[in-house]
Amino acid sequence: MSMTGWMGAAVAFLCLVLAVGVVASRGPLIRRVIALELGGVLISLALLLLAEGFDRDIYFDMAVVLAAMTFATSLVFVRFLERWL
Amino acid sequence: MTPQQIVIDALLALAALVALGSVVGLVAAHDDLDRLHFLAPASVASPVLVAAAVVAREAFDGRAVKALLVAGFFLVLNPILSQATARAQRVREHGDWRLTPEEER
Repeated sequence: MSMTGWMGAAVAFLCLVLAVGVVASRGPLIRRVIALELGGVLISLALLLLAEGFDRDIYFDMAVVLAAMTFATSLVFVRFLERWL
Repeated sequence: MTPQQIVIDALLALAALVALGSVVGLVAAHDDLDRLHFLAPASVASPVLVAAAVVAREAFDGRAVKALLVAGFFLVLNPILSQATARAQRVREHGDWRLTPEEER
């Protein structure tokens, strides 16, 4: 398998992150948090694809950690949104 | 191009298309709770498709296990996050997540 497919998919995901970033930078708070949650998923998947594309094992660990951290940080944001913001 | 390459490219293209659909839904939806629904395809289908592509290339080695772990994270944790977000929205709008007496009638 050439690297083109993996890198192409990673670039596509990163372009989608830009679009999500625009949504996350304007509008009501709840909309921004939803965009942040989607952005976290897309970045984790882009990291996974880049890891395979660059053929580096260590990048897979980053994707796993980011996936777990995305959930935790989003949950903290949601709690703040519910109680204090 | 081998059949394995075709399968992998097809899985990756499908994952990107599903993610694109989610982003379009996020941008175009009328309501914030509608937007929340568009998290699901990108959080459930795309990670599984990407993990399947990694498994198709690597078989079940360490990389594939990590890719499946990422897919598992999103598969299990996304519904929890969506519920928590919807609840936060409800509390912000009504002060409590429970039904109001008017809504119960």
